[in-house]
Amino acid sequence: MFFGIMWMVSQAVLPAAVGRTIDAGVTTKNSAELIRWALVVVGLALAKAASGILRHRNALSNFLAAAYTTVQVITRKTVALGATLPKRVAAGDVVAVGTSDINEIGHALDITARLTGAIVAIGTVAAIMLAESVPLGLIVLIGVPVLTGLTGLLLKPLHDRQRTYRVLQGELTGRAVDIAAGLRVLRGIGGEPAFAGRYRRESQELRHAAFAVTRVESGLAAAEIMLPGLITAGVTFVAARFALDGHLTIGQLVAFYGYATFLAAPLRTLMEGADLITRGHVAARRVVRILNVEPGIRDVEGAGGTEGAVLVSGRGSTLVDEESGLEVEAGELFAVACAEPAEADLLAERLARFEDSGRPMLGDVPLREMPLRQVRERILLARNSDKFFNGGLRSELDPTGRRADEEIRTAIRVASAQDILDALPEGLDTEMTDGGREFSGGQLQRLRLVRALLARREVTVLVEPTSAVDAHTEARIAARLAESHAPATRGAALVAVHAGTVVAMKVSSLSSHVAAVGIEAEPQTTTILFTTSPLLLDSAHRVAYVEDGRVVAVGTHRELLASEPRYAAVVTRGEDIEEAA
Amino acid sequence: MTARILPVADSRQVRRYVRELIARHPRTFATTIALYTLAAVAGLAGPRLLGDIVQAVQQHATIGHINALAGALAAFVLLQTTLTRYAYVSAGRFGTIILAELREEFVEKVLALPLSTVENAGSGDLVTRASRDVDALRRSAQMAAPETLVAIVTIALTVIATVLVSPLLFLSVLIVIPPLFAVTRWYLRRATDGYLRENAAAARYVDGLGATVAGAATIEAFGLQQRRIESADDELAGSYRAERYTLSLRTVLWPVQEFCYVVPVAGALLLGGYAYTRGWASLAQVTAVTLYIQQLMIPLEVLLDWLDTLQVGGASLARLLGVAQVPPDRTAGARAVADPRELAGTDVRFAYVGGHDVLHGVDLTVRPGERFAMVGPSGAGKSTLGRLLAGIHGPRTGTVALGGAPLIELPLDELRGEVVLLTQDHHVFAGTLRDNLHLAAPDEVDDEALWQALDAVDAGGWAAALPEGLDTPVGSGGLALSAPQAQQLALARLLLADPKVLVLDEATSLLDPRAARHLERSLSAVLEGRTVIAIAHRLHTAHDADRVAVVEDGRIAELGSHRELIDANGAYARLWDSWHGETAGTPPHV
Repeated sequence: MFFGIMWMVSQAVLPAAVGRTIDAGVTTKNSAELIRWALVVVGLALAKAASGILRHRNALSNFLAAAYTTVQVITRKTVALGATLPKRVAAGDVVAVGTSDINEIGHALDITARLTGAIVAIGTVAAIMLAESVPLGLIVLIGVPVLTGLTGLLLKPLHDRQRTYRVLQGELTGRAVDIAAGLRVLRGIGGEPAFAGRYRRESQELRHAAFAVTRVESGLAAAEIMLPGLITAGVTFVAARFALDGHLTIGQLVAFYGYATFLAAPLRTLMEGADLITRGHVAARRVVRILNVEPGIRDVEGAGGTEGAVLVSGRGSTLVDEESGLEVEAGELFAVACAEPAEADLLAERLARFEDSGRPMLGDVPLREMPLRQVRERILLARNSDKFFNGGLRSELDPTGRRADEEIRTAIRVASAQDILDALPEGLDTEMTDGGREFSGGQLQRLRLVRALLARREVTVLVEPTSAVDAHTEARIAARLAESHAPATRGAALVAVHAGTVVAMKVSSLSSHVAAVGIEAEPQTTTILFTTSPLLLDSAHRVAYVEDGRVVAVGTHRELLASEPRYAAVVTRGEDIEEAA
Repeated sequence: MTARILPVADSRQVRRYVRELIARHPRTFATTIALYTLAAVAGLAGPRLLGDIVQAVQQHATIGHINALAGALAAFVLLQTTLTRYAYVSAGRFGTIILAELREEFVEKVLALPLSTVENAGSGDLVTRASRDVDALRRSAQMAAPETLVAIVTIALTVIATVLVSPLLFLSVLIVIPPLFAVTRWYLRRATDGYLRENAAAARYVDGLGATVAGAATIEAFGLQQRRIESADDELAGSYRAERYTLSLRTVLWPVQEFCYVVPVAGALLLGGYAYTRGWASLAQVTAVTLYIQQLMIPLEVLLDWLDTLQVGGASLARLLGVAQVPPDRTAGARAVADPRELAGTDVRFAYVGGHDVLHGVDLTVRPGERFAMVGPSGAGKSTLGRLLAGIHGPRTGTVALGGAPLIELPLDELRGEVVLLTQDHHVFAGTLRDNLHLAAPDEVDDEALWQALDAVDAGGWAAALPEGLDTPVGSGGLALSAPQAQQLALARLLLADPKVLVLDEATSLLDPRAARHLERSLSAVLEGRTVIAIAHRLHTAHDADRVAVVEDGRIAELGSHRELIDANGAYARLWDSWHGETAGTPPHV
């Protein structure tokens, strides 16, 4: 702020210095005074240059501090809300914080220094002028704000047109992006002339809107020349007459010319500042509204006791949901076939406590009474809507960084994802950008499965994990999932897991109880598959068929096919109808 | 998958294009320059008149003389005001016209990109060009170009005026030219990269926030909270580094510039004072030159300020023009499609990158009206074969011909009437549901036909439930359709386009398996008589087809009807058994 003031003031007094130079040095032909005052001008130039950049540096710091802090608090709030966020706030509102609100808040802070500088500068110039000549000072002090205010009248129509223009411009960019993103469709089946025509129409509309802005701006540009020009002419005229009468020196005459031209700038800053601060305030309110959202699922008062104790005693427990009648043994590869897809989502969310309904229990502890953090550490819900973030493929698949190469290879094998990695020249070191947009739907699904397997939770709930992969690959995944849960291979898998954990322990010297449990207790990994794919269902130890939120039958896939016609209809729907037809 | 980057024009082509663009509107351009020149000349009267007033005061001239000078001052201000206004309007007209031409030509070029390029290059590069580059160019053409133009005109005239008043005093300007030139050059060499990095870093943290928001549920499920926070902090730190860098550039540039703008004033005063003492210059000359020099610094500052925007604009223009440089991927051949419209591939080999074939001599004939399914593990070459059968790419060796005419030699318009490929990639255009359906259908297609198409893909239900039916805005800015709905919409669009051969590459993969099956059944009824080649990941599609090809390692491993393949007891039969659960046995290892 200090530098903002200094910057403005050094500009404000510059005309005075030039005037003094003329009076003291030039007209009197006094070379000592001339040099002295010329040096003052140079000194002011230095002060202006130095304070200008220091002001800018501070203003940028203010701007960035505001923007960065906003992103940080919003990020922290978002991760704290987790699955609640999409239910409470439109994603667009949160992203708008990143794209526009942080700038508005930043600009508001950024302007404060210049604004203060402007106010001080106006005061300084006013003081100097009034001291030198009251009538002239008054002309400038009244004339400049009045005329600047008149210019301000042009600002409203300008802002209106600019707003129209920006909306149209956003739409046109949207149209171009739309064309670029959907070009495959357009080039594939046609519609280019229609789109080219629509784009041209909107482009011309934008051109007219832009021209309308230009027209108003041209008025403003003209006013910016006319108003100070007329004031200057007026001041010069009056000053010249005073000078003629001997009331003013010639240097003062030149200085007044300078003051009148200078004053327009701080006055504009004043108007700009008022606008920016208002907008910054509105943006800040939007941010605060997001920060006020409460999480949907929270710990019950006094839940669980000490976390570690419950965790250790609970490892390897059955998962029971009385409401639906679902009972899953520890270490089981269990499948649930629901008559309706929506039921599957609901049930999966309940089992992983992504929503509080029913009274599911893990071992003898109801999930609802367990600390939420512990529920998340023990039960994983992996869905097709899950996202990847930007980062190396390895760290995206194993965010904890605790898994050994061997474990990662095993998980990739189970998810039948080796071919994806083979196609990447840099394999696991490939950077994943844009949430993995470079991968196809089927590839992403397999990579999601790898990540879910590597999370190695006590219970893993997978919802339609193979819906986008081809039958060949699906068969392979089903077989390998079954293999990894088969009693005979569990010992072998365990050895690999042990080795991996030990390595991870050494590397990162993790002392958390979770890792410790991984070594001491047998990790009986339970997997619950929500699916209607016969290939996956066939690989499960047991299958539960669910209708209207209740388990209707439990057995192997083949048993159910034989005994439960409705189940058979759901998993091979349409087959029999067709064969009859 | 490896998105290939589209070409970029070189600087010579960019300059030629800019010249052409100006040459298209010579009148507007000349008027703009003329008006600005006149306005600048009018603006130069001010300091000179002030100089005269100073002189008059000193020589104790009459009040009438002072009045006349002040009157002239006001008159010139009004003249400059008027001229500036018209110059501004004229420049605005010129800028908006060429900008509109530029972006329209770009979009036309994009819409004419060869089919194979479109399928191969990811949309990312094109989207960036359509948004960021067009925007950068807008700033350049609409703001930077006219401002620089005015600045250059004003600088030139001010220099002339200064020299006319006093060549001697003009020397004070010359001392700051070398440092200004050096520091600006130093800055411009680094600025473009610096600002591009700064923007990219800012985009990264905004995107990072977007990813965190979109993946909020995933973050909770996998316990990624700390990781996302750290990642955001990293991105912000990266942005801070980029900001620091450009700030360090400005820290050098700005003080030097600001200092250099004022120093000539002091120089003019010193030199003027000395010259006045010696009688080489009048007081009027000293005053006028001092004020001219003060005035000169304004356009100079403007000019230097906009130089880097112009630089960025030039780079963006190069990327926009580059789109036009993609060579066409097909030349029309002489042969017409003959009936029967049999789609035949003979000894087809194909490589995306030189020397690495993904298809190894495929022979295949699809009969008119046939339901043909392709199954096989991912990466076996099914999609590639599908693209060749749809005429997107030409084979490296061998031919793919429809009714005897090689597909790659058909003009695009004709090809579309014959074969269309639909992949699982879908896109809902911003517009109404009707707009989206009408893409491929002639205008005379009525709503009834649209509804029929929607019904055929099981979308009639949800479409009828939309608040405004066919007039509901969808896509970006409108109602967001779910992925399965978008896929249904793509299929309905395809039905309306009504080609004779349809290549469906997992075109129903995003639908619930049961819904997909139902959709395929109803589709099949509508497509009676059309040839359908379906690349399927679900076996019921194969089961329902007339013939099935099992593609493995770029070859057709098995070919025949579902029944025949089951009887043959090969890989397909094993897969089917385990899928269908008819026979007990070990899970297949395919």
